[in-house]
Amino acid sequence: MKIVILVMLLCYSFAFSSGDTTIHTNNWAVLVCTSRFWFNYRHMANTLSLYRTVKRLGIPDERIILMLADDMACNARNEYPAQVFNNENHKLNLYGDNVEVDYRGYEVTVENFLRVLTGRHENAVPRSKRLLSDEGSHILLYMTGHGGDEFLKFQDAEELQSHDLADAVKQMKEKRRFKELMIMVDTCQAATLFNQLQSPGVLAIGSSLKGENSYSHHLDSDVGVSVVDRFTYYTLAFFERLNIYDNASLNSLFRSYDPKLLMSTAYYRTDLYQPHLAEVPVTNFFGSVMETIHTDSVYKAFSSKTSNNKINSEMPVNQLSEHDELQKANIPNDELKTEKQKCPYTQMRVDLHEKLEKFENVDTVVNLGIAVMVFVVMISSSLL
Amino acid sequence: MASLIRSWIPLLILQSFLVAIAFGSKEAEEFSEALLLKPLPDRKVLAHFHFENRAPPSNSHGRHHHLFPKAISQLVQKFRVKEMELSFTQGRWNHEHWGGFDPLSSMNAKPVGVELWAVFDVPQSQVDTSWKNLTHALSGLFCASINFLESSTSYAAPTWGFGTNSDKLRYGSLPREAVCTENLTPWLKLLPCRDKDGISALMNRPSVYRGFYHSQRLHLSTVESGQEGLGSGIVLEQTLTVVLQPETTSVETNMQPSWSLSSLFGRKVVGSCVLAKSSNVYLQLEGRLGHESKNVDTEIEAHKLWKNADFDLSLKPDRVLRESSSLLFIFDIDKSSDSEPFDLGLTWKLPSKWSCQQAPLQATRFLMGSGNERGAIAILLKATESQEKLPGRVVTDGRCTIKANIFQIFPWYVKVYYHTLQIFVDQQQKTDCEVLKKINVSPSTDKVSSGMLEMMLELPCEVKSAAISIEYDKGFLHIDEYPPDANQGFDIPSALISFPSHHASLDFQEELSKSPLLSSFKEKSLVRSYTEVLLVPLTTPDFSMPYNVITITCTIFALYFGSLLNVLRRRIGEEERFLKSQGKKTFGLKQLLSRLTAKIRGRPIEPPSSDSPAAQSSFLSSKLIFKIILVAGAAAAWQYFSTDN
Repeated sequence: MKIVILVMLLCYSFAFSSGDTTIHTNNWAVLVCTSRFWFNYRHMANTLSLYRTVKRLGIPDERIILMLADDMACNARNEYPAQVFNNENHKLNLYGDNVEVDYRGYEVTVENFLRVLTGRHENAVPRSKRLLSDEGSHILLYMTGHGGDEFLKFQDAEELQSHDLADAVKQMKEKRRFKELMIMVDTCQAATLFNQLQSPGVLAIGSSLKGENSYSHHLDSDVGVSVVDRFTYYTLAFFERLNIYDNASLNSLFRSYDPKLLMSTAYYRTDLYQPHLAEVPVTNFFGSVMETIHTDSVYKAFSSKTSNNKINSEMPVNQLSEHDELQKANIPNDELKTEKQKCPYTQMRVDLHEKLEKFENVDTVVNLGIAVMVFVVMISSSLL
Repeated sequence: MASLIRSWIPLLILQSFLVAIAFGSKEAEEFSEALLLKPLPDRKVLAHFHFENRAPPSNSHGRHHHLFPKAISQLVQKFRVKEMELSFTQGRWNHEHWGGFDPLSSMNAKPVGVELWAVFDVPQSQVDTSWKNLTHALSGLFCASINFLESSTSYAAPTWGFGTNSDKLRYGSLPREAVCTENLTPWLKLLPCRDKDGISALMNRPSVYRGFYHSQRLHLSTVESGQEGLGSGIVLEQTLTVVLQPETTSVETNMQPSWSLSSLFGRKVVGSCVLAKSSNVYLQLEGRLGHESKNVDTEIEAHKLWKNADFDLSLKPDRVLRESSSLLFIFDIDKSSDSEPFDLGLTWKLPSKWSCQQAPLQATRFLMGSGNERGAIAILLKATESQEKLPGRVVTDGRCTIKANIFQIFPWYVKVYYHTLQIFVDQQQKTDCEVLKKINVSPSTDKVSSGMLEMMLELPCEVKSAAISIEYDKGFLHIDEYPPDANQGFDIPSALISFPSHHASLDFQEELSKSPLLSSFKEKSLVRSYTEVLLVPLTTPDFSMPYNVITITCTIFALYFGSLLNVLRRRIGEEERFLKSQGKKTFGLKQLLSRLTAKIRGRPIEPPSSDSPAAQSSFLSSKLIFKIILVAGAAAAWQYFSTDN
C-alpha cells in the first residue's frame, strides 16, 4: 500500500514538474489557410505573411507546418505567376524561392488538421508532415479563413468547431506535446472559437469579438482581389519592425491593435496563461530564440529560469512615433478602400435575430407547441 | 596438394571480392548538367534542362555519397525501387507545332498534373504496400499531395499497355494537382549545386511558371552491378522542360522572335557548377538542311554556320554537329565567369519556316452525350502529314500496318460498359478482330479499384482516321466523398497512346558518349503521346440540403401544430363576446381556464364576458369533457398497447 502511494506521489510530482518547470526547448508553428477559391487570395497571403515572419525570426522550415487550401501562386488567374503579394506596392514576394508547403489543396481538411495537432497519423506519413513537438515546445497556431460563432470553415465544406479545437488542445496537453501554445485566429467572430478552451498554458488572440466581422485591408487592382486582412496587416506592421534580438513583449503586440483601424475588437484570452504578458517576449512564439544555460556539470538537471533580459513592454519612442505616422498614413487609405465583406453567417444571424425580436409572445407559442406535441405524440403512438 | 588448394580457395575468393570493391569504388559518382534550347515553329522557344546523377554500385550498407542525393538513395533502398518516374506538369504539349516524333517530346510531353509510375523489386504481395509508402514519402519530399495515389481507386497495374512490361509496375496520375515553386524547390535541392550555380541558376521561378508548358520530371533507375556483395547503382535523371514565349518588338508576324538567355529567364549563366563533370548548352535548329554543305571542317564554313544571312548567334559555338534534319551547336560554359557571363542570344534576320516531325497518328479524346446520367468517351486518331515518311511500318501478310497501344484508367465512378466498345476506321465500323490485336480489361469495383483498359490496334497504313468509343454510366458518390469544389467536375486521367513499332532517336553521329543528354537522345525511345484530361460533370448533391431539410421540416411542423392549436383552442364566438363585455367577472371553472390561458399566453387576465354564462359554461364544459375523454382515451390506448408489447 505504501509503495502504491509512493508511486502515485512520484507520478504526481513528475507530472507536476513536467507541466510547469520544463524548460522551453524548441519552437513550432502551424499555419493554416482554410479557404479555397481565388477570391480568398487574402487568406493565403495572410498565412504566407506569417510564414515569412516566423521564418525570418528563426523558426526553421522543418518546424513549420504550412497548410494552404488552394494554389494561388500558380493559379491561372494570377497575373504574377509564382508570386503572392500582401500589399499593393508589390515590394515583397511572399512565395519566394524557398517555400515549403506541407499540406495543400484537398489535403487541408479538419481531419488532417486535428491529426497534425494530436499527432495521430498513419505510419507512412513522412516526418515533414508531422508536428513533432515535445513537452518543452512553444507552438504558434495561426488560422485564417471564414468563420462564425464558434466555428471555422474549411474549404467551404467542413467546419472546425470550438469544441473540436478545445478537445484537440486538451489531448495535446495530455500527450505533453506543448509547453505553451498560442492560438491566433483571423476570422469573423474569432473570439468565439476560444470559448471552450480549458487547457493550461494556452494563450489565444482573435481578430474580432462575437458579432463582429473581420475585414480585409485593401484591394489590389492588379491582382484583382483583396490581398490582406486588417488584423494580419497590423500584426505584420508590428513584426516588420522587429528582428530576432528584439525584446518586444506580447503586451506591446496586444496594445498595438487599434479597434478603429481593425474595424473590429481584437480579443485576448489570457486566463489560461500563467506568465505575465509584459514579461513574455513575442519571440517566445513567433521566433526561435534559445536561451543557453551554463552548467557546471555536464548532466545537471535543468530548471526553469526566469529570463534576465529586460522585456520592453513599451515600444521605444521612435517606434511609437513611426507607428503613429503609419497609422495616419493609413487612415485615408482605409476609408477609401475598405471593402465591406460581411460574413454571410453573421448577416443571416442578425436578420434572424431581428425577426425574432419582432415576433411577439414567443413563449406562448413555444409552450403551446410543446404541450400539443406531447399530446400528438401520445395519439400517434397509440395509433401505431 | 588438394588441401593446399582448398585452403587457398577462400583466400582467392576474398581477394577477388576486395578487388571488386576496390574496382567498384574507383568508379566515382558523376553529375552532369546540360541545357538544350530549341526555337519552335510557332515563335516560341523550348528550354530543356537535363541533369544526370550517377551513383555507382557500392556496398548497400553504409553507403556514403558525395554528389548523389541521400534522400533518393534512401528511397530506393527502403522501398526497393527498380525504376521510377515522377513528373509535375502544367500546360499541354502541342504535338503539332512542338513535335511528336523526337526523343524530347516522347519523353517530356507529360500529362497535366502529377504522374507517377514505379517498378519494385519486392515479392508480388508487397508491391502495393511499397507503392503506398512510396507515395507518402514522395509527397513529403516534393510538397505535393502524391499520397492521394495510395488509395487503390487511383492507381492501376498495367500489364503491357504502358510500354514497360512488368507485373510489379504501378501507375497513377493526379490531373488536378497544382504545380508551383514548392515542387520545384525540393527538386532543385537534389542537385549538388542546387539553384545557386551552373545552369540551374537560370531557373527564375516567375519566368519558368509564366511559360506555356512546364514539365518537371524525375526518373531514376537502378543498375545491377552483377557482382555479389555489391548493391545496385542508381541513375537519377532530372529534367525540366519549359516552353517560353520570347518578348518581341518586331511587328512582322512571320519573323521569328530573337531572344537571349537573359531575355528568356531574366538571368545569365555565371560559370558552371564545379561539381559537374560536364556542363554544356546546346542549341538545336531544325529544318536547316540543303543550303549548308555537309563539310564543316574549315573555319570559314563553321563560321558560316553560326553567322549567316538567316540568323546570328551572339557567341561562337565550340562545336557543331548535324543530324539528318537539324543542326546542333554546342557551347561549353566553363569559360564564363562573373565578368563574362554566358548569355547566348539568337537573332533572326530573315523570316524562317519549318515544321516538326510528328507522330504517325495524332490523338485527341473527347466526351460525347449529355446529361448527368450517361455518356461516352471517344478517342480519335488522325493521320498526320508526316505519316508516310516515317519508318516503323510493319508489313505482315502483305499488309502494311501501324500498331498503336492505348492505355487508359477509368475512375470507378465512371462505369464503363466494355461491350459497347466500337472501333471506326475511316468512318466505317470495324469488327473487333479486324483491327484489335490485343485487349486487356480490368473492370472497376465501386469504391475499391479503378478500371483499366489496354488495347493494341493494328491499323492499315493508309488510314486517315480511326475512332474508338466506349459508353459509360455516371456513378454516385457518398456525400463525404465529394471534394469541396465538386461542381467543377471530375477528371478522367489522360490516356496514353504509344506506337510500339515506332522509335524516336536523334543520332548526332558523335562517338564521344560523354554527354548524357545526347546519349539519351541516341537511345531509341518509344513514341508516345498523352491525350487531354477529360472533365466529367457528375451529379452533385446540394450540399446545403441537410440544412434545407431541417428548415422545411420545422416549417411544416410549425404550420401543422399551429393550425391544430387553433382548431383545438380558439373560440371565435367567445373572443367576440369577451371584446363586447369587458370588465364583467365570472366565477368558477371558466375563470380558472381563462387564468390558465393567460398564464400560458403570457398576457394579463382578460375578463370573460358574462353573456349567458350558464349556456356558455355548459357548452364549454361539454367541450372540455370531450377533450378530457379524448386525452384519457389516448392515454388508455397507449397504455394498453405499450403493455401489450
